[in-house]
Amino acid sequence: MELGGQAPKPRWNPRLVAGGLIVLLAVSALAVRLVQLQVGEYQQLAAMGVQTRVHRVVVEADRGVVYDRHGVQLVVNAPAWALRVVPAALPRDTAARQSELARVALLSGVPEPVLDDLLSRAPDLYLPVTVKTGVGPEQAQAISERLPELPGVELDQTPVRTYADWQDFGHVLGYTNRLNADEYARLKSLGYLPDDTAGKAGVEAGLESILRGRNGWADVETNAAGLAVRTVAGVAPTAGDSVYLSIDASLQKAVGQYLREGILAAGVRAGAAIVVDPRDGQLLALVSAPTYDPNQFTAGISAAAYQRLLQDPAKPLFDRALAGLYPPGSTFKMITAAAGLQEGKISAGSVLPCPASISYGGWTYRNWAGYDMGPMTVEKAIAVSCDTFFYRVADSVGDMSLAGYARAFGYGTAPSFEIPGPQAGLVPDEAWKAQQCQQSGATDCRWNPGETLTMGIGQSALLASPLIQAMYVSAVANGGTLLQPTVVSQVRAPNGQVVSAAHATPVSTVPVSPENLSVVREGMRQCLQASYGTGFLFRNDKFQHDGGCKTGSAQFGGSGTDLPLHAWFTFFSPYDNPEIAIVVLVEGGGEGHDTAEPIAVKIADYYYSHRAQIRAA
Amino acid sequence: MPRSTAAALLRRVDPPQALTVAALLVLGLMTLYSTSGHDFAAQLSGVALGLPLYLASAAFDYRRLQAAAPFLYGLALLLLLTVEVAGHTAYGAQRWIRVAGIQVEPSEISKLLVLLALAAFLARRERVGRREVLILAALGLPPTLLVLFQPDLGTATVFAALLLGLLFLAGAPRLVLGAVLAGVLAAVPVAPHLLHGYQRQRLEIFLDPSRDPLGAGYNLIQARIAVGSGGILGQGWLHGLQGQLGYVPERTSDFIFAVYAEEFGLLGCLLLLALFTVLVYRMGRAAALAPDRFGFLLGAGAAVIVFTQVVQNVGMNVGLTPIAGIPLPFISHGRSALLTDLVLLGLVQSVALRRRLVTVKPESRIPLTESGTVRLPV
Repeated sequence: MELGGQAPKPRWNPRLVAGGLIVLLAVSALAVRLVQLQVGEYQQLAAMGVQTRVHRVVVEADRGVVYDRHGVQLVVNAPAWALRVVPAALPRDTAARQSELARVALLSGVPEPVLDDLLSRAPDLYLPVTVKTGVGPEQAQAISERLPELPGVELDQTPVRTYADWQDFGHVLGYTNRLNADEYARLKSLGYLPDDTAGKAGVEAGLESILRGRNGWADVETNAAGLAVRTVAGVAPTAGDSVYLSIDASLQKAVGQYLREGILAAGVRAGAAIVVDPRDGQLLALVSAPTYDPNQFTAGISAAAYQRLLQDPAKPLFDRALAGLYPPGSTFKMITAAAGLQEGKISAGSVLPCPASISYGGWTYRNWAGYDMGPMTVEKAIAVSCDTFFYRVADSVGDMSLAGYARAFGYGTAPSFEIPGPQAGLVPDEAWKAQQCQQSGATDCRWNPGETLTMGIGQSALLASPLIQAMYVSAVANGGTLLQPTVVSQVRAPNGQVVSAAHATPVSTVPVSPENLSVVREGMRQCLQASYGTGFLFRNDKFQHDGGCKTGSAQFGGSGTDLPLHAWFTFFSPYDNPEIAIVVLVEGGGEGHDTAEPIAVKIADYYYSHRAQIRAA
Repeated sequence: MPRSTAAALLRRVDPPQALTVAALLVLGLMTLYSTSGHDFAAQLSGVALGLPLYLASAAFDYRRLQAAAPFLYGLALLLLLTVEVAGHTAYGAQRWIRVAGIQVEPSEISKLLVLLALAAFLARRERVGRREVLILAALGLPPTLLVLFQPDLGTATVFAALLLGLLFLAGAPRLVLGAVLAGVLAAVPVAPHLLHGYQRQRLEIFLDPSRDPLGAGYNLIQARIAVGSGGILGQGWLHGLQGQLGYVPERTSDFIFAVYAEEFGLLGCLLLLALFTVLVYRMGRAAALAPDRFGFLLGAGAAVIVFTQVVQNVGMNVGLTPIAGIPLPFISHGRSALLTDLVLLGLVQSVALRRRLVTVKPESRIPLTESGTVRLPV
C-alpha cells in the first residue's frame, strides 16, 4: 500500500461537536470571570493586595533616661532579646498552630493562655507581636536553635530597662512592664500597642508621658512570613525626654543603708526616710524599706516570684514613704502648739504645768514621764514633749479648730507628687465621727471630748504618711509655706536642652503668724540643743549645726497602755534659713529617740559632711 | 521502519498541537522562574526529560497499547495501592511513592493508564449499552476510589469526568447517559459526608472564604487578590508582588495560575485560555481523524482530561470551583504530571500521525475492516 495522497477531512461526529461546545462554554465562563476580577474588581482587589502586603509598623521611641540631680545614670536601656510572633505566619492548621504555641510557651515560659490573649489582641496579623522582652542570652540561644521549626516566631534585639542600685532606688524608680488587657484598653487612645510596655510604678509610671517619647511609624512591605522587605513610607520616632531627679544618688544610698541598719538594729522589718529641701520642696532622698528588685518585672516576673513578693510579711512592694499611714504621735505637737498660740489659748511667755497625769471626763490621761515635770513654756513643752501640757492646749482649742490646723499643715490631703501612690491619711473631728457613725449604723455618734486631748499629742485617729510629715516639717521650718513635694529637678530633651526645671510650688500658707511659728521653731531648737531636749543623741554626737527636731513614739493597734509604738523623728537644719528637713519612721520601732533618731543623726552627719557635693550645681 | 514511511509520518505531524504545547511550556517555565528558582530548575529538567518522551510517544504506534490495556490497568491499580501502603504524606494526603530515589505521584500517571484501559475496552464494543456502562463503571470505580481516599479529590474529579466523557463520546444512548448523570447528581448531597475533614472544610470555605481568612479561606482570598491585581495588562513578568512575596499559596503548583494572572493580566490569561482551547481542539481534531475507534477514544479522552484539569484549576484560582488540588497542565510544577501530560499529548500526535488517507484514485480504496478503520503497515 502506498502512503501519500491528501489528508482526509476530520469526521466531526455530533458528540465531538457537542463536547467542543461544552469546552467553549466553560472557557467563556472562565473568561467572563477573569474580566470580572481583573477589570471589574481590579481596584478593590489591588487595594486588598496593598493592604495585605503593606503594614504600618510602629517604630518605638527610645525611652528617656533617669538621672540623679548630678547626672548619675540610674536607669540603663540595656540591649536584650525580645521574642516575637507573627500571627499570620503561624501554621494555618489549627492543631499544628496550637502545638507550635505550646512549644513557644514551653521555651519562653510565657503561659499559653497569655500567649493566646496577646495574639488575639493583635491589630495587624502580619506584624510581630512581642510575647516576651528581656529574654536572657541562654534562653535566646535555646530558642534560636529551634526557630527553623517554629514558623512565625522571631527573636529581635530591643532595649530593656535595667535598674542599677535597686536596693536604694527601687520604690523611687519603679519599673516598666507589659500592659495587661485593662491597661491597654485605657491607654489605646494614646497610641499604645497591645504588646506595649509602660511604667507601672515609681517615676517610670509617674513620668510615663515625659519618658515615653513619641513613637514613629513606617509602612513596611512584608512577605507572607511577616518579614519586612522594604519601607514604603514613614516618620522617625522622637526619643523621650530625660529626667534629672532632685534625688542625690550618694545621699539616697547613704540614707538607704542607715535606714536598713537602723531597722535591723531595732529588730523590726520596715521603715521610711525622707530628706527634703524645705525651701523648694525638692526631695534629696526618698527611701522605703524593704524594697524589691524592679528588674524582675521588666524581664516579665514569674507568677511564683510575684506571689512571693505579695506574700512577704514585710510587704516589699508597699511604698511606705508615700502610702504608709501611721499615727504621728508627738511629732504632731508643733501643730497643737501653733493652734494654741494662734487661737490665743497660750502665748510665748505663758507657763502651764506638766503633771504626771490629768483627769478628764472620768478618765486619766498620762504623761510619758510618769512624774511631774513642773511648769514650763510651750517651747520647753515641745522640747521635752510634755503630753499633759498639750492635752490642756488641745482641749482649749477644740477638736474642730485643731483639725483645721492639722489640715492646713497638709494632713488629710494626698500630696500631689510625680510618683503615684501618696495617701491622704486621716484627720478626725466631730464631723468625721458623725459621718463614720452613720456609715457603721452606730447609735452613739458624739465625739468623745477625750479624743480631742489624745489628738493633741498626735494620737486619736490621726494618720499621716512620712511624705505628709516631711512637708509639714518643711512648712514649720520655712516659715509657713506648705509646698508641693517633688523628685524632679530638670527635664531635658534628647539634645540636652532643658525642657523644664523644678521650682518651688506652694500649696498654701499656713494660717499661723510668723511670730507664732518662730515660737514653735524655738521649741524644736530646744529639743535639739537644750540640755533637756529629747534630741539628745544629736548632742551626744556633738552635732555641729543648729536646727530643730521632734521625736515621736506613736501608739498603734488599739487603746490603753503598753501598746506597740512607731518610732518617728523629724528634724530641720540649720536653724536660720533651713536647707534640709528629715523625717524618719521605723515601723513598730518603739521610742522615737531609740530607733528613729540614730538614723536621723547619721543622715544629718552625712549631709553636712558631703554638703558641697550634694549642693554642687 | 522504512525511511520513506518515517518521512511520510513526519509530514503528518500536527504542528499546531506541538507549538501550543511548546508555548504552554515556555509560559509555565517563565512563571516558575518568577517565583521559585528551585522549582524552575526541577521543571526544566522535567521538560528536558519529557520532550524526548513526547517524540517517542508520537512515533510509537498507539494501537499496540490496545492489547496491553489489561496490563496497563493492572499497573495503575498497583501503583495506587502502593501509595496506600507505602506513600509519603504531604498536606494531609498520601500521594507520593519513591521509585529509585525519585518522587513519583502515581495518581498523575494513573490518568494516562486508566484512559488507555477504558478506551481500549470501549473500542472493542461497537455499541454502548447498559452492559457496557456497568463494566465501565466497574473498571473506573477502583482507581477513582483509590485516589479519592488518598485523598486526592482533584484526580478523582478527573476520573469521573473521563468516565462520563468517554461514555458520551463512545455513543452511549441518551437514556443511559441521563441515568448516569442523574446518579452523579444524586450523589452530590451525599458526597460532603464522604469527604475528608479538610476537603469538607475546603468546600465550606469555597462557599464563604471570609469565615477563616487566615486559615482555610486564606488560599482563596490570596489567589483572588493576586488574579485581580493583575488588571488588564498585568504587573509584568517577575513583578507580581502577591506571588513574589509568597502570599499566593502553593504558588508553583495548585495556584500558579494566580501568579501568572497577576504578572500577565487579563490579556495574558486570555492568551493562556486560548492556547488551552487550541490544544483541546487539536486533540478533538486528532480524534476526528483517528483511523480507528481506539484512536478516537484516546484522542477525545485525552482532551477530556486536559480540559477538566484546566477548568478545575483555573476555576479554583478565580473562585468558580471548590479547591481540589489539581495541577494546571504544562504550567504547574510537578514532574509526574508534566511527563504524563507530555506522553499523553505524544500519543495523541501518534493518533493524528496514523490518520486514514484519502487516496487519489477512488478505485484503489482499501477495504475497511469491520470496525471501519484501515490498518496501516507501519
